[in-house]
Amino acid sequence: MSAIVVMCEARGDDYRPATYELLAQARRLAAGGGGEAAGNEVVAVTLGDEAGLKSRLNGQANRVVTLTGDGLAPYSADAWVDVLAAFLGAGTSGNPAAGAPVAAARLVLFGESARTRELLPRLAARMGAWAVTNAVDLTTDTGNIAVRRPVLGGKAYAVHAVGEGPVLAAFRPHSFGADAVGGLATVTEEIVAAPAAPPRVTVLATEIGAAMRVDLTEANVVVSGGRGMKGPDNFHLLEELADALEGAVGYSRAVVDAGQAEHADQVGKSGKTVSPTLYVAAGISGAIHHIMGMDTAKVVVAINTDPSAPVFGYADYGVVGDALQVLPALTEEIRRG
Amino acid sequence: MRIVVLAKEVPDLEAQVRVVNGGAALEVEKRRGLNFFDEIAVEQAVQLKQAQGASVLAVSAGAGTGVEALRRALAMGAETVLLVDDPALDGADPLTVARALAAAARREGFDLVLAGKQATDDEAGLVGPMVAELLGVPCVTGVTALEMEGDVLRVSREVEGGRETLRVSLPAVLTVEKGLAEPRVPAVMGVMKAMKAQISRVTLEELGAVTFPPLVLVGYSGAPARPPVTMLEGEPATVAADLARLLREKAKVL
Repeated sequence: MSAIVVMCEARGDDYRPATYELLAQARRLAAGGGGEAAGNEVVAVTLGDEAGLKSRLNGQANRVVTLTGDGLAPYSADAWVDVLAAFLGAGTSGNPAAGAPVAAARLVLFGESARTRELLPRLAARMGAWAVTNAVDLTTDTGNIAVRRPVLGGKAYAVHAVGEGPVLAAFRPHSFGADAVGGLATVTEEIVAAPAAPPRVTVLATEIGAAMRVDLTEANVVVSGGRGMKGPDNFHLLEELADALEGAVGYSRAVVDAGQAEHADQVGKSGKTVSPTLYVAAGISGAIHHIMGMDTAKVVVAINTDPSAPVFGYADYGVVGDALQVLPALTEEIRRG
Repeated sequence: MRIVVLAKEVPDLEAQVRVVNGGAALEVEKRRGLNFFDEIAVEQAVQLKQAQGASVLAVSAGAGTGVEALRRALAMGAETVLLVDDPALDGADPLTVARALAAAARREGFDLVLAGKQATDDEAGLVGPMVAELLGVPCVTGVTALEMEGDVLRVSREVEGGRETLRVSLPAVLTVEKGLAEPRVPAVMGVMKAMKAQISRVTLEELGAVTFPPLVLVGYSGAPARPPVTMLEGEPATVAADLARLLREKAKVL
C-alpha cells in the first residue's frame, strides 16, 4: 500500500480551503473502487506553528503527521525543505520511536501558493522526484492515477500518469470540491525533527496588504475591472459587488499598466491565475492575455458595451451594457438576496 | 560580480496550438521569443551590470531552440550567451533542464543567478528554484524589488495577502516577477550585433548533466469548450435582475 500525502497550509487560525479540497479528493480516490488509488492511505502533513491546528484534521485523513522542531517556526523554506525531504524521501517517519512507519509517499498534493512555488521545486530537485504545478485535476479515469494541467496558457491540456512516483503535484484552488465525507479514524503521529540548518534567507519585514480581505487566487468569486471602468473613481463599484458576493477584486493588465491598480491584483498571463466559481469581467475586452488568467473559472459573466468584445466568447452570461450602471444594479440584486 | 540569467525560449502568446495524432502531440505555430519573465531578469542583470560592473551571461536550454531567446538577451545587453543544445532536451523533464542549466552556471561561474518566476508556456515555475537546490545556494522566488550592498541583497516579494522584505547573501538564485524592472526595447545597433553573434553551444554530456525521465504522457486534449454564451440586453435594473436569477437558479453559483 502506498500513500497519498497532502501538504497542509494554514493561514491564521485554520488551514486554507485548498487543504480541505485536496484531502477530500485524496479520500475520494482512496475510497474509489477499481482504480490504483483505491486503498491508499491518506496522510496529512502539517509543520511548525501550523501543527497546532492539527485537531482540525480529525476525520480528514487516515494519518496526521506533525513535524515540529527548532527552525520550523516561523516558516523558512530552507528548514522546511530539509525536514520535508527527509520525511518524504525516507518513506518512513525516520523516527522509529514515533510509531508505525508512514507508507511510501507516491503522490504528494500541494495547493498552489507562493509557498508551494518555493518549496515544491526545491523538494523535487532534492529528492529526485517528479514535479507538476498548476494542475487542475487528479483522476483515476483509466484506472491509473493521473494529473491534468493546462499547457500553453490553457490552449491545451496535458494528462500525465503518476506511475510509481514520487510525484509532487500542486493544484489550483477550487480544483476539487471539499464536500467528500470525512469521518476517517485518524491516527496522529508527532515527529520532532532534528534541528534544521539556520535559514540562509532572513525575513526583515512583512506588510499585510490592507485591501486584500479575501485572497485573489483562492476567492470563490472574483470581480475584475478593466478600462471600461473608466478609472479608479469607479473601482468602488467592483468592491461593493465583491463584498456582496464575499469575493475579491481583480484588474486587467491595462488598468495595472496605467498605474491605477497594484500588480498583485492583476489577473492574466503576467499577473495572477484565478479559478473561482464565479468570475465577473466588468469593462474588460478579453485580450488573450487576460483570458489565460481566468479561463478555468466555473461560471463567467462578462459586462461590456461592445457586443463584439472577445470576452463574450469566453463567457457563460454576457451583458451588453455599461459596467458603471450594471454593476451597482447587480450589487443591489445580490444584497436583496 | 558574475550574473547568469536563465533565458527560456517560448512560443508567442498568440501562437496557434493544435492537438494532433489523436492527442499524442501538440502542433504549435513557430512564433517564438524570450519568455516575458526572463526578459525582466535580463533587464535586471543589465541594470546591475551598468551600476556595478557585473558581467552578464545568458544561458538557454533546448533541442534546436533557444537561439531567438539568446539573441534577444544579447540585444538587451548581455555580454555572452551559452546554449545547451541537445536532442535529449526535447520534451525533457524540468529537472533535466534544471540540471543542464545548473551545470552550465557552475562551469561558467556565478555570484547571482536570475530567472523569470515562470515561463509563459507551461507556467510551471520549477526550473529556477530547482537550479538553486542543485547549486546548493539560497533562493527567493517572485522578486519585485532588489537592492544590492556588496554581496548582500535586500529583496521584496508578494506573498498571499501582503509583501515581504528579505535579506539574502550571494551566491543566490532569484526568480523575478513583473514590476522588478521594465525590459528595455533594444537599440537597432544592438539587434544587428545580436543577429550576427556566434552562439556557443554545449551538450548535456559535455556539461556532465544527467537526464531525468519525464512523467508518462497519457495525452493532450483541447481546452474544454464553454456552453454558448447567454446574452442579456435591456435596462441595467432588468438585466441585473435576470442575471441574478440565472446565477442563482441555473448556474447555482450564488
